[in-house]
Amino acid sequence: MVTQRSRFPLAYRMLLPLAAVLLAVLVYPLVFSFWISLHDYQLTALQDVRFVGLRNYLELRGNGSFWNAMRNTLIFVFGAVTLETLLGFGLALLLHRPNRYRDFFRSILLTPMFITPIAVGLMFRFLLNQQLGVLPYLLGKLGVQIDFFGPGLALYSIILIDVWQWTPFMLLLLLAGLESLPAAPFEAARVDGASAWFTLRKVTLPLMKPVILVALIIRGLDAFKVFEYIFAITRGGPGESTESILYHIYKVGFRFFRLGEAAAMAYILILITMALVVVLYRAMRSAEELP
Amino acid sequence: MNPSYRLRRLLTESSALLILLVALLVVLFPYFWILLASLKPVDLVSRPDVWLFSPSAFNWEEVLLRSDVPRFMLNSLMVGVVTVAVALITGAPAAYSFSRFNTGGGLARFSILAAEMMPPAVLIVPLFLLMFRLALLDTPVATIAAHLTFVIPVVTWFLIGFFDEVPRELEEQAMVDGYTRFQAFYKVVLPTVRPGLAAAGIFGFVLSWNDMFYALILSGGRNKTLPVAIAGFWTFRGIEMGKMAVAILVAIVPVLLASFFVQKYLVKGLGGGAVKF
Repeated sequence: MVTQRSRFPLAYRMLLPLAAVLLAVLVYPLVFSFWISLHDYQLTALQDVRFVGLRNYLELRGNGSFWNAMRNTLIFVFGAVTLETLLGFGLALLLHRPNRYRDFFRSILLTPMFITPIAVGLMFRFLLNQQLGVLPYLLGKLGVQIDFFGPGLALYSIILIDVWQWTPFMLLLLLAGLESLPAAPFEAARVDGASAWFTLRKVTLPLMKPVILVALIIRGLDAFKVFEYIFAITRGGPGESTESILYHIYKVGFRFFRLGEAAAMAYILILITMALVVVLYRAMRSAEELP
Repeated sequence: MNPSYRLRRLLTESSALLILLVALLVVLFPYFWILLASLKPVDLVSRPDVWLFSPSAFNWEEVLLRSDVPRFMLNSLMVGVVTVAVALITGAPAAYSFSRFNTGGGLARFSILAAEMMPPAVLIVPLFLLMFRLALLDTPVATIAAHLTFVIPVVTWFLIGFFDEVPRELEEQAMVDGYTRFQAFYKVVLPTVRPGLAAAGIFGFVLSWNDMFYALILSGGRNKTLPVAIAGFWTFRGIEMGKMAVAILVAIVPVLLASFFVQKYLVKGLGGGAVKF
């Protein structure tokens, strides 16, 4: 018994079920996916799978649709995450003050982040539709005519939908961050007669930096996966102006059945993701060392 | 306190409240409008100018009594429950091992976090081919397998934070009392983190319940889940929109109720024992 335990300690035995399941559903598919990306692998020609080396990757260089989707996604991530951070931080500051209705406001304001994104997409498609949507109708009464999903504007409308759904996530993390800050620096600032603005810039923001960084990266990684709003509203259009990287991979892989190419694009995506996760992990580690 | 100071204070307080009320309105209005649409008679659904009308139960009866939506809801429920059960059974001992023995060190924790963030585009192609070969496409098994890829890491990451907070003396005492280390984990530590298990389970369930990407591609037919079924209302034909509103409400109300239970545990869970907010 004792020798058996020392040969294979409990710490590893408790890890076994997790390792077994993740090996089957995560690690094996990851390796398989890389193998697929090195082949001309079409769902319509499964008997004729040929090894092509890095061709799928090299051909991405001249693939305008792929870079267009990458560009759209970067604009989307940058726009959405910036707005969500600013709004989330503002709301967190407001809710951090002593307020009788605090818990009420907080629990309602957090609700959008729990809803399935496809429902959010369809809700806003219904709300913003040019003919039958209530928002264009109300704006029309004010004399403003907007086609939210027309050319040039659709991507920005989708950013706003993301802001509706995910500002709550920033609010959640940033409010928790504010609540855990030490009281002493703030008292010192008050004793010195510092203004609210000065305190925010010179005390709150520096102390909050690690938490903001962690929240930014988690949200950014998640925003990279945007798919449902586009599926629910524009299907990538008008033209390819709202195609995100995930939507593009879905289209190439499961509408055009070119799985090898889709797998290669996905592997490019892994590289970006992993780079960000390394930064995130470091940020979490350094946040830990704070008082 | 001088009057001008009190006036300024009153002004800041009321403008803060005003901003919060506007935010509240922005969050609540879409819910309100979709609820209104679900109660509108068929000919009024496409009329944004009609806010007052005599409510009709037609859409609700159509969806709940005469459509497949309840069956799709059961599919979602089943997929979510099985996924969470597997995630808790495999994730709890693993999280304990990470928390207590620091098994695998930083690399292991990093891998869990990386798995949590893995873009679904990467796994969908191989999972699709795998399920195709195993003749499991359009079955709940395919969706469950896909959901495990993100629910297991999330649940494990969540639980590390909760185990970190259990004092070590607890299982040391249990071992003095004659329990083995595993018995101490199973009979003493696990019951004390019950709120964490519940929060991780509910959060994992919500993630599975909300997924459309994997479910759409792996089982978009007879065994579709609720989000895939909702996506099917895409056509926007007049008669479908009221029903779409009902289906949306059916999908989001249970999750909103669950959210009130998990909100307060969420921050600790997301930090995974790393960030002490």
